[in-house]
Amino acid sequence: MTRPDPESRRNPPGAHLGAGGSAYAFLFFPMAILTVFVLAPTIIGLGLSFFEWKGGPLWTGAGGWNLPTFVGLQHYRSLLSDPDIRHGLINTIAFVVGSVPISVLVAFVLAVAVNSPWFRGKALVRTLLFMPTIVSIVAVGFVWRWVLNDSAGILNWFLSLLGYNDPPNWLADGYWPLFWIVVVQIWRQIGFCLVLYLAALQAVSPSLYEAAAIDGATRLGSVRHITWPMVAPMTAFLMVTGVISALQVFDLVFIMTGENETRYTTVLNLEIFREFSYGSFGYAAAIGVLIFVITIAATALQLAAFGTRHPKAAGRAAK
Amino acid sequence: MSREHRRRAANTFNRPPFAVRLASHIVVYTVAATMLIPFLWMVLTSLKTSGEANTPPSLSNLLPATPQWSNYATAWNVGGHVSLLDFYINSFMVAAITTVLAVAHNALAGFAFSKMRFRGKAPLFWATLLTMMLPAQVFFIFAYVLCSWIGYIDNIQALVVPFLASGFGVFYMRQAVTAVPDDLIDAGRVDGMHSFDIFWTIVRPIVWPGITALAIFTFMNSWNSFFWPLLVVDSMKMKTLPLAVADLASAAYFTDYPTTMAAATLLVLPLVILFFFMQRAFTQGIAMTGLKE
Repeated sequence: MTRPDPESRRNPPGAHLGAGGSAYAFLFFPMAILTVFVLAPTIIGLGLSFFEWKGGPLWTGAGGWNLPTFVGLQHYRSLLSDPDIRHGLINTIAFVVGSVPISVLVAFVLAVAVNSPWFRGKALVRTLLFMPTIVSIVAVGFVWRWVLNDSAGILNWFLSLLGYNDPPNWLADGYWPLFWIVVVQIWRQIGFCLVLYLAALQAVSPSLYEAAAIDGATRLGSVRHITWPMVAPMTAFLMVTGVISALQVFDLVFIMTGENETRYTTVLNLEIFREFSYGSFGYAAAIGVLIFVITIAATALQLAAFGTRHPKAAGRAAK
Repeated sequence: MSREHRRRAANTFNRPPFAVRLASHIVVYTVAATMLIPFLWMVLTSLKTSGEANTPPSLSNLLPATPQWSNYATAWNVGGHVSLLDFYINSFMVAAITTVLAVAHNALAGFAFSKMRFRGKAPLFWATLLTMMLPAQVFFIFAYVLCSWIGYIDNIQALVVPFLASGFGVFYMRQAVTAVPDDLIDAGRVDGMHSFDIFWTIVRPIVWPGITALAIFTFMNSWNSFFWPLLVVDSMKMKTLPLAVADLASAAYFTDYPTTMAAATLLVLPLVILFFFMQRAFTQGIAMTGLKE
């Protein structure tokens, strides 16, 4: 390590690079796009949730002004009594709780096995598991509908081979469609979580396992008390981001239910889409705010939970 | 510690009995197979006749009697005067333009945030990070209104312009550029290079893997995007491939499974090919960023 020479102290790195405003030139388009299409619409969207509005031009010529009408908290009061929103909320939460922890946990278990030195075909497994993550949800949705088809689907054939000949109609009966939507989501997410876990496992020092082996720890014990705590930051990351994106589920439900959502399958984002299609922009915005609030609450809760658990877990591993 | 030594150390602890190893392989490969079976079923169905597809499956009719390649022609020409080729071109144009411009914007902004000094840097950077956390459910409504005001609806602009920068992309490139040593930048500065030349000749080659990874994600997200195109595209001729396939599949679903599956195969094919050629960049990019959308 050398001492910083006086030249560079007078003229710190990058000091010149801002000269002539080129930093602003580099930032102009990105910042303009983010401001116009994300920041401003978010603020206006929050405001819209207190108004009634169908969109369209503000000045309609002969028709006069087409301005949003202020309705105060009316949309939020409607949210509380709207049965569609209640079903959407319940189903969304069921979707999140049903899919996120399982895909993270399964991915962890698989990653530990695949990462073992004796595992054959690591690259192949990674490729296969990653496939569902990259393909379009439209394709995934239709393929799974066909797999689950009542009369000619391959799932019912497998089940009949196992001696189960009277399955429900998976895509129509009660909560079964939602169940399969959750399964497909897990199926899609495992590969993504696995790839990230494999990266995290690379960073775990082998000397920790050596020390544990010398201390007479069992293999499972080392997974429980070394591996799991060491990749805890990745687990927290996967849980937090997984919950955030699962709360926004739309495409999968839209396709899997054939655009015919029922109270057993509707989710909050589908309700937004529906209200938006009817031209109830204000009410749609209010549902959006509801999802936003739930997202913040879920994230804060998880960060608090993971935050307090880490030090203890790490401490246990060190012992 | 040498690599060999380290591996041996890990091995002494990690080599469980044969039964455990076998069981692990069986479990992992069973899960891997479930990833593949739906896709196999898709391709098999796409080659069957309608009659074959509608017969309950059994060992004898799992494979098509004669592969019906004409199903692909049917799916391809399904729109009458428009063919899937038009939707491929739409999707490809949208994804390609978005990828090139968005990566360029994000990389330059990341470079500015990482290596340049200017007034207002901190608040601008925080604003960029904030956009990553804002919920699409809230901002898409007014973004749509805005697009309708400026005549973007049912135009390619609506599918491209809002995506020409992203908070995630800027943040990602800023992290990548930060790894470039300041000494190199200073050397360029001493040589009297303009900041864009420094970016282009010094920074760009070093952060190329990050740029590739970001490009792949941007392309993938654009190619697969569904919700926003569903809102802003009205006419048949502007539809992207996922919208067209969803239409076709909904229309054909109750009568013609093979055509639906052929269309689904055509939809996933480009990304699967891209994935197989650029697998390392895909998985490393994901591992590097830890973020997808």
